Amino acid sequence: MPEPKRPVDDGLRVESDHGTSDPACGATDPNWLVSRRAFLISGAAAVAYVTIPVRLPGGGITTVRAEVANYPRQRIGRLSTLRTGEPVAFKYPWDDIQAENILIKLGHEAGGGIGPDDDIVAFNSWCTHQGGPLAGTFRSDPGTAGPCPLHWTTFDLTRHGMVVSGHATQGLPQILLEAEGDDIIATGVMGLIFGYQDNRVDPAGKGA
Amino acid sequence: MTESYVPSDKVLLPPADANVHTTACDYCIVGCGYKVYTWPIGRDGTPTDNALGSDFPGGILRPWVSPNQLNVVKVDGVDHNVAVLPDFDAKVVNTGGNHSIRGGTLALKCHNSEGPTRDRLTSPMVRVNGKLTEVDWDTAIGAMADVSRHVIDRFGESAWAMKTFSYEFFENTYAISKLAFGAVKTPAYSPHDKPGAGADTAGVDDAGLITFNTSYEDWRSAEVLFLSGADPFETKTILFTQWIMAGGAKLIMVLPRRSAGVAYAEARGGLFLQVTPGTDALLHLAISRIIVENGWEDTEFIEKWMASSWEIGAGMGRGTRNTPWQWRTTWGKIGAESFDDYKQWLLDQDESDLSYAAKGTGVPAEKIEQAAEMITGGGGPRPKASFGLEKGNYWSNNYLNTASFSAMGLLAGAGNRPGRFISRMGGHQRGWIGAASYPRDKSPEKLPGRRKVEMDLDRWVEAGKVRFAWVIGTTWTGAMAASQELASRIREMTVGNPNQVQALDRQSIADALIRRVDSGGMVIVDSDIYPVAPVGTEFADIVLPAAAWGEHDAARCNGERRLRLYSKFYDPPGESKPDWWAVARFAREMGYEGFDWETDNDVFEEAARSSRGGVLDYNALVWKARRDGQAGHEALRDLGTTGIQCPIRYEDGELVGTKRLHDSTLELGDPEGPTLHPKWLTNFKSHSGKALFIKSPWALFSDFYERITPDPEKGEYWVTNGRINEVWQSAFDDVRKPYIVQRWPDTFVEIHPDDAAANGIESGDMVRLVNDDVLIQVGGFNRVKAEELSFTWMLENGRIRIGRGEAEAVAIVLDSVRPGLLFTNFLHPGSPANSLVHRVPDPITNRYRFKLGKATITRIGESPYKHAMDKMSFMPRDIV
Repeated sequence: MPEPKRPVDDGLRVESDHGTSDPACGATDPNWLVSRRAFLISGAAAVAYVTIPVRLPGGGITTVRAEVANYPRQRIGRLSTLRTGEPVAFKYPWDDIQAENILIKLGHEAGGGIGPDDDIVAFNSWCTHQGGPLAGTFRSDPGTAGPCPLHWTTFDLTRHGMVVSGHATQGLPQILLEAEGDDIIATGVMGLIFGYQDNRVDPAGKGA
Repeated sequence: MTESYVPSDKVLLPPADANVHTTACDYCIVGCGYKVYTWPIGRDGTPTDNALGSDFPGGILRPWVSPNQLNVVKVDGVDHNVAVLPDFDAKVVNTGGNHSIRGGTLALKCHNSEGPTRDRLTSPMVRVNGKLTEVDWDTAIGAMADVSRHVIDRFGESAWAMKTFSYEFFENTYAISKLAFGAVKTPAYSPHDKPGAGADTAGVDDAGLITFNTSYEDWRSAEVLFLSGADPFETKTILFTQWIMAGGAKLIMVLPRRSAGVAYAEARGGLFLQVTPGTDALLHLAISRIIVENGWEDTEFIEKWMASSWEIGAGMGRGTRNTPWQWRTTWGKIGAESFDDYKQWLLDQDESDLSYAAKGTGVPAEKIEQAAEMITGGGGPRPKASFGLEKGNYWSNNYLNTASFSAMGLLAGAGNRPGRFISRMGGHQRGWIGAASYPRDKSPEKLPGRRKVEMDLDRWVEAGKVRFAWVIGTTWTGAMAASQELASRIREMTVGNPNQVQALDRQSIADALIRRVDSGGMVIVDSDIYPVAPVGTEFADIVLPAAAWGEHDAARCNGERRLRLYSKFYDPPGESKPDWWAVARFAREMGYEGFDWETDNDVFEEAARSSRGGVLDYNALVWKARRDGQAGHEALRDLGTTGIQCPIRYEDGELVGTKRLHDSTLELGDPEGPTLHPKWLTNFKSHSGKALFIKSPWALFSDFYERITPDPEKGEYWVTNGRINEVWQSAFDDVRKPYIVQRWPDTFVEIHPDDAAANGIESGDMVRLVNDDVLIQVGGFNRVKAEELSFTWMLENGRIRIGRGEAEAVAIVLDSVRPGLLFTNFLHPGSPANSLVHRVPDPITNRYRFKLGKATITRIGESPYKHAMDKMSFMPRDIV
């Protein structure tokens, strides 16, 4: 495997398109998806945008555009050798135990999925509640990770690692994938890896 | 790329010199300990030098900060970063950094003027020409007082109502009760979750059991846990993940729906008793009958701790018969005289027969037998069995379920020993300190035999008797049964009345509102932290902004009566004030004495006197603090997240907490200093100090139950409701937590695959639930004849009208529910499941049967989430 490259972008920036809100509900549009603190520290160049619609109970919809920063590109497997329901472990973006991930072909469509059936996804394998090991719990049917052996949290692999039931205060970090011919390339991480302060700081530099 | 919510991939760390405050979670009963770190913007900690004293990256079970545990708040007017983290040093409740998804995201609830919480109420407002308009506190309170004086003078104190939370801190509830019961002396009062004052689980109380009598370590040391009406994994998370899972007890879960906790229980040799809503009493009776028929009851315990006929009747016996419990137990239908009397009654009941119970509950007979064996040992070694109940139990058939539940537990020898208890699991935390007693003598509501009972406030409103209502921190309508019908009546009496405020000075406001009440209308004042629909946004004439958790110092207890200080750590937004402050300001305007507090601590110390002799007695803490020259709040702050369990005793110069009540193993010396030793510390809470068997005749419920049972021929389904881990109460914070909104952008209804297919429904479809047969009890406050309590009599004598309710939800097709039953979230804003619920409270206790709704279901179309991939998961919650 190639050496993980150091991320080039260190920034995170959010723009918002103000939508409607539901006066009956009394809430204004929660188009605020990273803290103001994160907004204040924003800088550096943008790379990719995602649009995030948020619907309020009662009907209001608002959308948010967020930028995600660049991560190293790393080949982690081949489309032709991946079999449905047979998870493959790999490390990304660093050669570090917390950066262990699971690549899995679910056999049904998933958010962020690649391949002909949009069903190949990858996620970090440590529970974002208290860091329990999820590696042995990835299942293509129904498409979940967990329950975590520590406190029984489960995650939805078809919906970007969202918590199904349990306690994690962040979804399971999703490894963003692209297909390049037969190669499966990891291109980024969506969500903070458990134990990390910053996904883009090489843990080998810990204490340096 | 699929559209998605994108979390941050880095976090700020609190620096080593950050301000640190201790607090406890604002949400569920468990009350986990949290630490709050605040620090000026730009002065962050580093991976190797931070306030957590832990290097990053960390690993499994090491301290961590997730992106949803941070926010920006004002501290003394200056922007600060804030991190709200589980106390990694906690010695009790949630040790080792454990937390729920609710408490874990507490930081997101903080007011941030540039975030989703920016719509906090920041100023008093008056509705002028239909629009809520900012005014100063003097004008708002002045007008309130003018109208209140008029209402009380002209219509009497029972026309002046208080509808309030019962839990949001001692300081506030003490002030509220001092105003309502001590000063105004109104009987027109009800807490957030029921239509009137009084006990939640009277069948447990009447058995001599105090409802929160145990410690979390008892949940761990029990060997068998019979859990009825809640999955604690979903609703009291740390109780489950920290104590129940660690203890390894065999779990018997009684629920209508299979959830994560049920899956866990079954995977470890436990039992899932999937009951049809409303039939718990049949289950308890059948189990109890199996126990006595086989002689599996705990004879030694019964002989020593269950009251005999002589003990029940001796001396004052069951008392004057003029309080609700005395009336109930002397009614002749429910108070058993002895074990033998109870046993005979049990054997005589057709409904306690196993086959009857199996048919009624839908639980296979062999599982009922297995449960009886598990909780008693079946003639073999007797396990330490404990019994926990919650709302699925007592909000479906209140008295009969709770009475039969406690009798079953007592037969198994539970109630007064470590690891062997009968207790509520809890919902919200315990934050009520009553400054004065509810004025039952002024209540217009009577049971047959001239027995005064706490009034049903909703029925009183429906009857047009309330002219002024102060609503504090509750949705009122959404949280009560037949929500939309109640809202319609309130709408008619408030915004539907022609007399509306048209000018913004105190005199004009008061004049218009006095004309309103004189014409039969009602005035509403709503104190809250957000605009709450519809009571605040649509109905209220005056809206008052409240300061919340973290914005003032406050205290309350959790489910093991553990008292902690909830520290102030940032500025309340705008002009918002703690509710006690608004109450005091109003009381002084009314000319009432004794409302001169200046600080949170002033109220806390005064309230200590009212706590004396009660379950939450903390008087010794304040007494000792004064001797030590310390404020009560500061003494409590020193105890950090550990706090101390109430009632607090003073022994040998130290404060001592009380681990459990009715504790037959507790040895007490002579009471010292301010310490009181109520007999229920070591005995049961009854005349004799022994526990009581209470009968639960099914006939007291069966006519109502038959009438409300859904008719499949009409396409009707049971609609029962409950809570889920990710959402707290009315979601007032959660709709402002983007992370939670991603998971639950709307409410849901779980439907069995067979029912879904029959109605052409798939997961992700939007459906409408309609009940055009909502039964609503009206009038009849002064009951004279015994039969007036019967549902059949009420139906035949015009005491029941029929209303309507509907709700919309996103369908999730799962076999977690049985055919014929739908399960939905209990209190989602904009779609109140309680609209589908009958407003006919249990006549014995005046408690709603919230879990017994019904509806037809119709597919409307696809929801935006059906194919969205980035929000709302349709996965089952019971994956093993």
